[in-house]
Amino acid sequence: MVNTSAILRFPSSTCLILLTLFCASCKKEHKTSISFYYWKQNFQLSKGQTDILTETNSKKLYIRFFDIKWNTKAQKPYPEAIINFRQQSPSLDIIPVVFITNQTFEKLDQQGVDSLAIKCNELLKNLSVRQKINCKTIQIDCDWTVGTKDKYFNFLHSLRALSKKTLEVTIRLHQVKYQFKTGIPPVDRGVLMFYNIGKLSADLKEPNSIYNTQTAEKYVGSLNNYLLPLDIALPVFSWALQIRANKVIQVYGKIGRTELSNAQNFSPTAQKDIYRAVRNFFTGGIYIKTGDLFKLEEIDKALLKQAAVQLAAHLKKNEKRTIIYYELGNLNLSAFKAKDFEEISTYF
Amino acid sequence: MWACSDYGFDYEYSSFSPEAFVSKEYTPFFYTEYISYYGDYYYSENSTSRYNDVIVNEWQSYFDGKLDKKSLQYLLTAATAKGVDSVYEHMKGKIAVLPNEMPQLKSLKLDKKKVNAFFDYLRLAKSTELFAATDVTHSWEPQPQITVPAKLEEQILKHFKKAKDPFIKQRLWFQLVRYYYFIERGDETISADASKTLNTFNIYKNAFPQNMMYHRTLGYVAGWYYKNKDYARSNYFNSLCYNYSMEAKIPAEWSFHPQEEADWIRTLQMAKTTAEKATLWHLLGIHYDTQRAIQEIIKLDSKSEKLDLLLARIVNITEHSLGNFYQSSPDSASLQTLKQNTALISSIALKNNTAKPYFWNLAAGYLNFMSKDYTAARSFYNTAKQQLPKDDKLVMAQYKILDWTLYVKELKNIDAKVEAQMIEPLTWFANLKDRKDTIPSLRFYKALDESISNLAELYKKQGDVVKANAFKSYYEFYADNNKIEQMKALLQKQHKSAFEQIMLRYYPFDMHDLYYHQSQVLTYQDKIDEAIVMMNKSESTGFIMPANPFNIRVNDCHDCDHERKPAKDLYAIDVLKTIQSIKAEIKQGKNVYKNAYLLANVFYNITFYGNSRTFYQGKVMQVEGNTPFEIPSTFRTMLLSNKIAEKYYLMAANVAKTKEQKARCIFMASKCERNESYNRSYNKPENANSGYWDVNIEPVFFGKYFSVLKTQYEDTKFYDEAIKECGYFRSYDDK
Repeated sequence: MVNTSAILRFPSSTCLILLTLFCASCKKEHKTSISFYYWKQNFQLSKGQTDILTETNSKKLYIRFFDIKWNTKAQKPYPEAIINFRQQSPSLDIIPVVFITNQTFEKLDQQGVDSLAIKCNELLKNLSVRQKINCKTIQIDCDWTVGTKDKYFNFLHSLRALSKKTLEVTIRLHQVKYQFKTGIPPVDRGVLMFYNIGKLSADLKEPNSIYNTQTAEKYVGSLNNYLLPLDIALPVFSWALQIRANKVIQVYGKIGRTELSNAQNFSPTAQKDIYRAVRNFFTGGIYIKTGDLFKLEEIDKALLKQAAVQLAAHLKKNEKRTIIYYELGNLNLSAFKAKDFEEISTYF
Repeated sequence: MWACSDYGFDYEYSSFSPEAFVSKEYTPFFYTEYISYYGDYYYSENSTSRYNDVIVNEWQSYFDGKLDKKSLQYLLTAATAKGVDSVYEHMKGKIAVLPNEMPQLKSLKLDKKKVNAFFDYLRLAKSTELFAATDVTHSWEPQPQITVPAKLEEQILKHFKKAKDPFIKQRLWFQLVRYYYFIERGDETISADASKTLNTFNIYKNAFPQNMMYHRTLGYVAGWYYKNKDYARSNYFNSLCYNYSMEAKIPAEWSFHPQEEADWIRTLQMAKTTAEKATLWHLLGIHYDTQRAIQEIIKLDSKSEKLDLLLARIVNITEHSLGNFYQSSPDSASLQTLKQNTALISSIALKNNTAKPYFWNLAAGYLNFMSKDYTAARSFYNTAKQQLPKDDKLVMAQYKILDWTLYVKELKNIDAKVEAQMIEPLTWFANLKDRKDTIPSLRFYKALDESISNLAELYKKQGDVVKANAFKSYYEFYADNNKIEQMKALLQKQHKSAFEQIMLRYYPFDMHDLYYHQSQVLTYQDKIDEAIVMMNKSESTGFIMPANPFNIRVNDCHDCDHERKPAKDLYAIDVLKTIQSIKAEIKQGKNVYKNAYLLANVFYNITFYGNSRTFYQGKVMQVEGNTPFEIPSTFRTMLLSNKIAEKYYLMAANVAKTKEQKARCIFMASKCERNESYNRSYNKPENANSGYWDVNIEPVFFGKYFSVLKTQYEDTKFYDEAIKECGYFRSYDDK
């Protein structure tokens, strides 16, 4: 451990050489590949985003195609925020991702589960055909619980049979730690979501909810025993929590350090990363009231490295993995460069 | 119990009805916790039909009432283009017969010119519905592509130029603006100068009256500005639509979205009058900042009716934050908000210069009441009393609720004089709760519930537990049989005072319920003869037992026992009578071993651990659920104890003839002993109100009976059976 942390302080090229020296048989640079999620509704890549894909040698792109939510009025699940391709998707392996709310499975009956799998498969097929995407893999993202396990797993089972594709699902840390309670999904691979591990809390002392080492430490111990092969999803996003009267009102990705540093609107408090609104005003469609607190939760390079080191220490070595960064559509291109992603990925 | 939530779940936290004070047209925006719109508005899927009534009425007055509503409704809102044609052809005599649902206009004496203009317009309008009157529907199918036919422009233009009748011409103007809106909708680059939507609107906007049609047209202009990111103008136009009519309120408020502070300032600058400015602040106040909006509107015009909704919302939001379904005591932030709101509303109310000063005084009084400043609350209510509209039943009822809850809070003790004063309001509330009287929209339940709790507390403090219990029945009362007897005496009293009569309308039980409860208690004291007498008095035979309570097994398995339910239904009274006859046999020395064993089984099975928990169900004890924590702590020891069963198992063991029988009895006694080890946790006073999940059950102790079994009965067959079946015993044996 001492050696590893010492290595971290060297620039990436030195680091690679040293890694090879210390650990000659690992050949890590061949084991992991880099990829990204794209989560926005309108698919349109800027030049910078396209460049990142090329520079990181990404072979795959995970694109969110639609969400499935329970419609209370109709008492049925419906797709929402279906992707709108404003440009042709890049000629990479495209992996469509579908986010399904856990509530959907709480409300569905078994018959509904089967028909959901059929409809979901059809919609995926139609959207792919329209974009001339010939995908080999589908990914489902759902934070299932003990109560919804059976229905969710039945859904996955049907979808896998119907689609005849490789099926992947996202796995949260609690599902790893309590795998015998929450069960192992009947799929080919899992993607460990190594973010959103803490609570969104109005308590200003509560650590960064996107990632913090202490909270993660409670879960990573079980990783080695997890029964599915895992790819890794890492966070490269930040957000700010708007807190009013001791309650978290909303979480905003578009309010960052730049916005909060505007002294006309906010003043920093004695506590790190906590800002107080100094007037009533609108910004970006959000109404901010005098006295509202904003708790900035950022992922920067240093924290991302910390996460990678912590995680890598608990993963089986010598496994071929994809490291997927969340997410490309809102990626801060001035904070993260291609070489950063390469460097992070070498830890695995 | 009457205190069930059948008065509406959503508003249980509230004692303040916005309906009493705020004009009906603002109803969708009354405060509601989870849903977008209050009341029925949430459920109405009306984005393409919200103007239907308006349209029908407008055409009806166009025809001076000579064309009936039903026919107009059919033609305007239901008929297809083809259906419209048929009705027209039939009227002109070109078709002989019409299907039943279509209106026959032939016999009506209508202005021919108007009729022709109507049908001419209608046919054109129907063809625009394909793109203009669509709704977003949730579906797995792709959303239908909305295409706007290019050649329609020429048609609408031609009609518009030709039209002379201002009524028709304005409608065609609306059609044209709407048509251009849909044509230009996807084009973000179009400038305002080049926009046909805006140009068409602007050229003719002064040619027509600023009526409903004008504002519906304006709504599309607001939409155009929104799509093209001129939020300042969009919000201003939306506010004009919001202000103009009830029908436009939901879509206009929905579309009101200031983006940047600069937009909002520009919007405010666009307002031409104080009233327009007040509407803008009102819109900001609904979902963004009620306190600020109220202050700003007060500065503009303290009599503005735009204040009413905001005041009702601030009161409802405050009371919700102080106590709702999920939270029983307010947090410090809620108290801070309460303080701010109380200060703000009180300062305005004190000036008595609003349009409805009684509304402000009641609101200020109620906020002070919530802040526990009862003197200030009383002073505001007193002022309001002089200002109330005496013929408004809802407002007067609202006043009464607020006045009553404060009156009860102010009471230090209750004497005969106070009781006399309370007869009238208690009767009024009792009639509401029993639905002998209804006042629509009145939120009375919370006030009633809290005030009778307060009365019960006061009576308890004064030592009058019978009255306390009559108002708010509480479990501990029934732990003492003398008290139950006092309650019965009151219920049976021949000449009850007027106060006693009204008080007992709040008491949930009658004589039968109390007799039944007494019978149960006597059973758990092994006083079976008396228990039977009481159960007979209750005129109830009790519930049917789900299993045979006279059977027992080594391992408790209620499901197994319930599956093998006796063929003949066994009621609680049958259980008691069987116990009685068994006891009689024991007294005569008959089959003492078997009978004592049966008695032990039944006393085991009617406790929490046994197969016939149904025995202890009843109105007074109200035991629900499957864990001991759902048994009210008052009755927990009684229903958990296996002491009587243990006594009879030992009696059976004493008279048993064989070693096998003895071993069996000792083992059964050990079950009673083991359950007692659980009971140590369940019965702890500090766990009285805990849930199953937050109590640690202490480890089971191995008591004396296991050791007796092991030392004296290891050679029996039963010993082997018990070892096989019973894990606890096995682990004891393994030690």
